[in-house]
Amino acid sequence: MTHDVIFETVKRNVLAVLPDVEPGQISIDGKLSDLGANSVDRADVVTLTMEDLGVTIPITEFQDVSDLRSLVTVLEKHA
Amino acid sequence: MKPVVTGVGVVCSIASNVPAFEAALREGRCGIVQTPDLGDGGPRLAAPVTGFSFEDAVAALTTLPDELRHNALRTAHRSPDPLRIDLVAAMQAFESAGLHCAPVPADRIGLVVAGHNLNSGYVHDLRPAYDDNPARLPARFALHAMDTDRVGTLSQVLGVRGEGYTVGGASASGNVGIVNASHLLAADAADACLVVGPTTEMSPMEKHGLATLGAVAGAGEDEPDREMCRPFDADHDGFVPGQGAACLVLESERSAKSRGATVLAELAGYDLKLDANSLPDPNEDGEATVMASAMARAGVEPGEVDYVNAHATSTPQGDDVEVRALHRALGPEVGRPWVNSTKGLVGHCMCAAGVVEAVATVLQMRGGFVHPNLNLRRPIDDGCRFVGQVAEPADIACALSNSFGFGGFNSCIVLKRRSLG
Repeated sequence: MTHDVIFETVKRNVLAVLPDVEPGQISIDGKLSDLGANSVDRADVVTLTMEDLGVTIPITEFQDVSDLRSLVTVLEKHA
Repeated sequence: MKPVVTGVGVVCSIASNVPAFEAALREGRCGIVQTPDLGDGGPRLAAPVTGFSFEDAVAALTTLPDELRHNALRTAHRSPDPLRIDLVAAMQAFESAGLHCAPVPADRIGLVVAGHNLNSGYVHDLRPAYDDNPARLPARFALHAMDTDRVGTLSQVLGVRGEGYTVGGASASGNVGIVNASHLLAADAADACLVVGPTTEMSPMEKHGLATLGAVAGAGEDEPDREMCRPFDADHDGFVPGQGAACLVLESERSAKSRGATVLAELAGYDLKLDANSLPDPNEDGEATVMASAMARAGVEPGEVDYVNAHATSTPQGDDVEVRALHRALGPEVGRPWVNSTKGLVGHCMCAAGVVEAVATVLQMRGGFVHPNLNLRRPIDDGCRFVGQVAEPADIACALSNSFGFGGFNSCIVLKRRSLG
């Protein structure tokens, strides 16, 4: 699965979890917390995206994720 | 000083707000419909909330500040509908009490969510996803599975920072919450307290279990009759589960006066007592005792009671025992007050029932009517003054509202009409 497809999936779930965010605000170098996401919102984005991509990744693998790029990288490794 | 009611809110099968609820009570509208057959011998009737849109319901609260409404949409964006229904009812009550424009200090507002086992249906519905792959559980699952998610979410939206928790007493939970809130006010631990009767989302297992106890109408039947919920009728055959939430704002009179809040009614008295009994069977002594002592605490004689909102779920044993207890508590005056059961219209809203019925009582008191006992054709008693199949005009200065619960919970509250002010 390509990096772009994964990023688009993440983006769709960010919009589902954060109703105030506009698509244009989401960039690969941005952070979920800068978009107003709290820790549970971030976990929601991750679980929804894992389900969409059909992958299961131990939650510990996300501990070093700091921005959307690093999130997509972890997902990409398993997709 | 007695606590007063300064705000009310409700969402149930027959109404999405308070004015619509009053109109539906007057009309005697019934929210009971047939439900799909799960093939487990469980209930085939229910009174569900239909057509609920959280966004539309929040948008309809036009006098609340935009920021509060936006906060509600944001905070409960991922919440299950039962919680959102509670939140809308609480926001309605908050608005009707004017807490947004003439506030009470945030740490002097309490929040009592009157119920327990509220999310079994939510947990049940996610079981297949968990069995398929545990990682499919939503990140918020642990939060949403807890009853106290209602407390946390409602407090965040409404900015409540005083004392708060869930309290429970099975089907008497609503009244247990009202009693608890009046304790908070009496102890001066709060100036105002929201009591939320929460949407109780049972799983099919619990509904089946209630059917096993013989408590549910039309369980397992192919084509159950929608009129099967008939409290106080000789053909009563069990209750119908209802979906809904309600909220009362109880407040000290001092606080209400200082804010210039409209007083809708006075909580003149109450009693809450256990039967020392773990079983589902009701107890005449226990029920008569709480009615009598609630009246005594309110300084009300049986001859001053104008209306009784009965617990009356439409089970033969429950209705029969309550009628006998009414005779005991009211004595020769038993034929004086009007008696009806809101459960005939909205079903049994389980933990929320007591608060839904307290709101119904306040509305009938202020609106000068008593709602029908829709399906009552052959009353089980000719001593009580049951309302018939249409609403009646009624001058209600003083009312009782009963709630009883499995496990020996007996409760009665006394509401008195108050002038505007």
